[in-house]
Amino acid sequence: MRHYETTFILRPNLGEEQFTEIIDRTSAIVANDGGAIICLDRWGIKRLAYEINREAQGYYVYMNYAAPGKTVDEIERIFRIDDRVIRYLTVKLGDSMNAEAIEAEKQRIEEKAAARAKAQSDETEGDEFEGEALEDETAEE
Amino acid sequence: MSQPKKVFSRRRVCRFCTDKEVVIDYKDAKTLKNFVTERGKIIPRRIYGTCAKHQRQLNEAVKRARQLALLPYMGNTQF
Repeated sequence: MRHYETTFILRPNLGEEQFTEIIDRTSAIVANDGGAIICLDRWGIKRLAYEINREAQGYYVYMNYAAPGKTVDEIERIFRIDDRVIRYLTVKLGDSMNAEAIEAEKQRIEEKAAARAKAQSDETEGDEFEGEALEDETAEE
Repeated sequence: MSQPKKVFSRRRVCRFCTDKEVVIDYKDAKTLKNFVTERGKIIPRRIYGTCAKHQRQLNEAVKRARQLALLPYMGNTQF
């Protein structure tokens, strides 16, 4: 098994149900081939840096998983057919992956998430201040 | 005449080598924005003094971020 991460962008106007459906289907493909999902992260709707298929926003989903190479072929084949997926990118992170490495990776991601959550809470305190400053500027305009 | 010389004697140390905590990640558009111009071009390493290894990683990361529409191919990075 190899270690991959895939980020894909869905059309933003599909609704929560279809987002879940696509994500479930993708994770089912990984599970079917004997792979394991390490982390599944919904970044949510973000503004795109440029328009893709006339969409200015996109729903980002990030997956980190261990699976054999043919799984990636299958996932990408389905993404290519499905026009609700507007963009995808798969990156290979490592060549071999066993149960131990999966656990280690899970832990690493958790730690990272905790660190980010902490940084974010610090940041929001700062942001509030910035937000106020911004409001003042707009008021002046 | 000493002034132009001063301009070139800016610190030329790779900031990824000095600060090990900064990881180059294509998903982290906020950090990558510091390494592209306002128009979205990758800043050459002669400006920042990034070492070859890290500039290469940076290059790869920016290009991946562009594919995912996290950074623009061209145009304003502030959006």
